[in-house]
Amino acid sequence: MSPMQLFIEYSIVGIAAGGIYALIALGIIVIFKASHTFNFAMGEMMMLSAYFFYAATVTFTLGPVVGMIVAMVGSILVALVIERVAIRPMLGRPFIAIVMVTFGIGSIIRGVVGMVWGPNEMNIPAILSRSPVMLGDIFVPGKTARAFAIAVVIVVGLIAYLRFSRAGVALRAAAESAVTAYSMGINVRNVVAFSWIIAAITGCISGVLMANVNTLTPHLGMIALNVLSVVILGGMASIGGVLVAGFIIGWLEAITGLFLPSEFREITPYVLVLIILLVKPTGLFGGKEVERI
Amino acid sequence: MPVELEVKGLEVFYQGAIQALTDLNVRVPEGSIVALLGANGAGKTTTLKAISNFLPLEDGRVTRGSITIGGDDMLKLPPHEIVRRGVFHVREGRHVFSELTVEENLVAATFAHRTKRSRKDMYEEVYSYFPILSERRNQPAGYLSGGEQQMLAIGRAIVADPELILLDEPSLGLAPLIVADIFEIIARINREKKVSMLLVEQNAVIALKYASYGYVLETGRTVLEGTTEQLSANEDIQKYYLGVETDAA
Repeated sequence: MSPMQLFIEYSIVGIAAGGIYALIALGIIVIFKASHTFNFAMGEMMMLSAYFFYAATVTFTLGPVVGMIVAMVGSILVALVIERVAIRPMLGRPFIAIVMVTFGIGSIIRGVVGMVWGPNEMNIPAILSRSPVMLGDIFVPGKTARAFAIAVVIVVGLIAYLRFSRAGVALRAAAESAVTAYSMGINVRNVVAFSWIIAAITGCISGVLMANVNTLTPHLGMIALNVLSVVILGGMASIGGVLVAGFIIGWLEAITGLFLPSEFREITPYVLVLIILLVKPTGLFGGKEVERI
Repeated sequence: MPVELEVKGLEVFYQGAIQALTDLNVRVPEGSIVALLGANGAGKTTTLKAISNFLPLEDGRVTRGSITIGGDDMLKLPPHEIVRRGVFHVREGRHVFSELTVEENLVAATFAHRTKRSRKDMYEEVYSYFPILSERRNQPAGYLSGGEQQMLAIGRAIVADPELILLDEPSLGLAPLIVADIFEIIARINREKKVSMLLVEQNAVIALKYASYGYVLETGRTVLEGTTEQLSANEDIQKYYLGVETDAA
């Protein structure tokens, strides 16, 4: 295989992995839009969802469809509790204080999962077929390809929903000015709760897909930190930008793996963010506000 | 039941120390336009914010007095709930959602759920008052001119279908011709939709022209009130607000 072919193959597999990251990015951005805070617990929310799925399908031997429903309901309930108990009382506090609260929630979830299910790798019932997908000569692992398709369909669906629904208008209105949104009769607190529900949905799907592609461990959600960094890189501005953000991370991971030892995969997104923010402090797509000239 | 706004003996403090209102009394009878006049810092905007309950967002608090609408106490309600009770605040500086399109700005005002008419019907009503907004319905509101943004801000109020609109400085920063246009439409909305208005306006000439009753505020209290004919004939008003030269004493 020529180096060029190898590069293309790695790129495609990487971008395929990026579908899941786009889901995570969407969850992060929606919460950022509604309450101007970074949710550092996003990865743990997705990891917990995967354990809910494990409990439903393995411990209680329910089918994968019921298991998915159980995981989804559980994830949404957890998200609503987090929002109500930890986030809502913090609204209006300094940005960094809320961020630290989400960070703490992430640690709590990791700790609780470790106590209940232990630190070892576990397998969940396969919901994705292994049979590989061929793009011309290029071999894409079956699970990765299918996870990509599911993730992209859901991301595009949710983006369209946020673009065209009244709930989406409320979210974007609250993102621009909470005070003005209140003056329209929009209950901004409900908008924040809504954003956590969306994050729970994307977290649940990405978590279960991730546990299928890899294995289930309490560290499943660590990737969300990379995603968060790339979302910051995008300038946090656009909901549509999540696909780009997700693909960039997937691609970076794969390409780093091709050229450098695997330890570098962990740090490349951060190095990239550092470089880009040095050159363009508003992020790749951020900082441009609509203003009449 | 007449839906009447009544503000009695209102006292407001910012940050627990800065007194903005001491004893403010205002009544807006159903279907009328009432003007609040006064110098900068007299407490006009604070009065509107107290009614729509935006004070807590600026660390302000009503410490005494009452605000009722149709007899219902409004003081403890959150801002979005007050909109749902039929009081819509068009804030100073217009505050359109600049990244939302014109029509999405109107959609944002549908959450008060006050009318049984379809949402599309409400948007068309706005466009009938302000045809220029119809042409621009799919443009981001940030690209509108100042006058168009003011029209959109008033259009959002129409969509919410309130009983009372609080209008804060609708003429601010606009060319005189556009101000005249906008006030003609404000008067039409008042007439045709029977919605009452509490108007804060630096431009006393125009405020006294369109309002039927007015209050003059000074350092947080109402010092003078009357029909706009009475106020227009008042020498102090002529001297300080209308710029009419009276005979030198």
